[in-house]
Amino acid sequence: MKNLVKIALISGAACLALVACAKKQQPQTDPAAESATAAEASQSAEPAMTQAQADSLAAEQARLDAERLEAERARLEALINQIMSEDVYFDFDRSELTEKAKELLAQVGELLLKEQRFTITIEGHTDARGTEDYNFTLGAKRAMKVKEFLAAYGIENSRMESVSYGKEAPKAQGETEEAYSQNRRANFRVNIKQ
Amino acid sequence: MRKVLNRFVWAVALALACVVPQGAFASIDTIAVDVGISVFKTTPIGIVPFEEKPGIDWIEEKPHQILTRDANLSGRFDVVASEKFNLALFSRSKAKHYMTGKVEPTSDGRLAVDCYLYVSQSKDLLLGERYTVPQKELRRAMHAFFDKVIYQLWGERGVASTRIAYVSKIDGVKQVVVADYDGFHRSQITRDSTISMMPVWTRGNKGLVYVNFKTNRPRLYTKNFGRPEKPLFEQFDQTYSPAVNPVNGELLFSSSKDGKTDLYIGNMETGKARKFAYLKSNQTSPAWSPYATEVLFTSDRGGGPQIFVMGKDGSDLRRVTFMGRYNERASWSPEGDRIAYTSMDNGKMNIYTCALDGSDIVQLTNNAGNNEHPTWSPDGKLIAFASNRSGTYQIYIMRKDGSNVTRITQAGENTAPTWSWFYDDNKPQPKEGSK
Repeated sequence: MKNLVKIALISGAACLALVACAKKQQPQTDPAAESATAAEASQSAEPAMTQAQADSLAAEQARLDAERLEAERARLEALINQIMSEDVYFDFDRSELTEKAKELLAQVGELLLKEQRFTITIEGHTDARGTEDYNFTLGAKRAMKVKEFLAAYGIENSRMESVSYGKEAPKAQGETEEAYSQNRRANFRVNIKQ
Repeated sequence: MRKVLNRFVWAVALALACVVPQGAFASIDTIAVDVGISVFKTTPIGIVPFEEKPGIDWIEEKPHQILTRDANLSGRFDVVASEKFNLALFSRSKAKHYMTGKVEPTSDGRLAVDCYLYVSQSKDLLLGERYTVPQKELRRAMHAFFDKVIYQLWGERGVASTRIAYVSKIDGVKQVVVADYDGFHRSQITRDSTISMMPVWTRGNKGLVYVNFKTNRPRLYTKNFGRPEKPLFEQFDQTYSPAVNPVNGELLFSSSKDGKTDLYIGNMETGKARKFAYLKSNQTSPAWSPYATEVLFTSDRGGGPQIFVMGKDGSDLRRVTFMGRYNERASWSPEGDRIAYTSMDNGKMNIYTCALDGSDIVQLTNNAGNNEHPTWSPDGKLIAFASNRSGTYQIYIMRKDGSNVTRITQAGENTAPTWSWFYDDNKPQPKEGSK
């Protein structure tokens, strides 16, 4: 009996999830779909259901859960990737944000406002020219400019940390201005607050 | 004129490089490049191959070859090489002294080496030493003898027994290594999967302080040789640019927090540290004066990096460099009167020295890739630095006037050399108070 109640509960939840999913994917869903799931729900609640049926339902539920989690994960991952790909570039030996950098950072700011669970590490980098020591200082200044901009955008300081990599982690190799300009950057690492 | 000379010297050097035989020691002998006309005062010294008893299977350089290399590197001598004692040659070359010796195999497979320093004219023995060592330790024995020769003739301590710490890319990761000053006997100190960099020596050459990224940020660590590593000043977020006080061992370093970089001074034993100077600008690359009375550092108060000096209590702040827009990472000559630093012009880094008031600027490197991270030998005669003039970054030694550039690392990528202090155990017993 206990089992049966459990199955009923699970299948009920499954139906709700189905409804929710259906609603989400098709906001103007046709009434037939809803009545069908409702019928299914009443049917599955019947005690006459066999163990095999219950198992397949539970499996179906697990699959749906997994799918939903996967979808959420993929969505977050896409967001994280989007944020992580938003490198902000700087001029030589400068740490001021360019207009283009500010546009990019505004987008990152929006994402962070929406996803309150995200915390970020802002990494400041320099090109290969200059000394290791001074480039740490310069990278720290760049990361800070980015942090200040996002703070002004409304992101809590507690969700951001800044760190300088100096010239130690170049994105592009070589001694060309093209490589240099790619390396004078700040980029993001994203963590999800548990 | 200087340029033409330079080119000529390079051409000669290249030609020489091409004809160096690919023998066992081909990689040892390096290209000597004279930059312009040297103003360095050197003394001619004769070197005669050691008398050799049969039965030695040579796998290392022979004693006179090691001494020749030491003499050339030292910045104190011009070598007058002769296959045997030749008073006419020594006299013509003004070589008032010469070195030679005897070497024979011992029954237990070691070498017994007698080393002599003679007065050329009278053949009076000035110095005689015997070393009985395995062949692989011959080089260090000869360095010890050479430093005794320097003490005998100059009354000063030589640097043949000193070492250099630097950063070497091993399997794609920057690691801290230590080698003898001539590049031999390299040993790896860090073995991390994350970057290690900026090594400096603790007092007495007992260990190193360096930066590692294992916590995803630059942070200082110290390690006494043969002992485990210890993180330093963990109360700070990002720490780098270490400088060991030569008198009391305290550590001066940079720490960046919220985009601001300041200098801090701390005790590595207790872990306590305090802010060194309260300045609006960012400060990095601190360096102590020889007696730890003053500190050099870089500030960005003018926009780009420039070198400043102040008292150890933060008083009497003065700007040192005014030429050019990028002057960084100064280090104080052990003789006290000059600094060496790296300057960037048109994206190229070169090494300069100047007086403490910023006057008398001398450019030491020129037209040869990037040249950076100068570090003084403890006797103040030489400067080691990193250059990519050969295509990859390698460590070089030059005299303090920029002459006699000699490469001491061969393979891979090597940067950020820092010269050790004198080695007291190899000290030729100088009298108290002597320099």
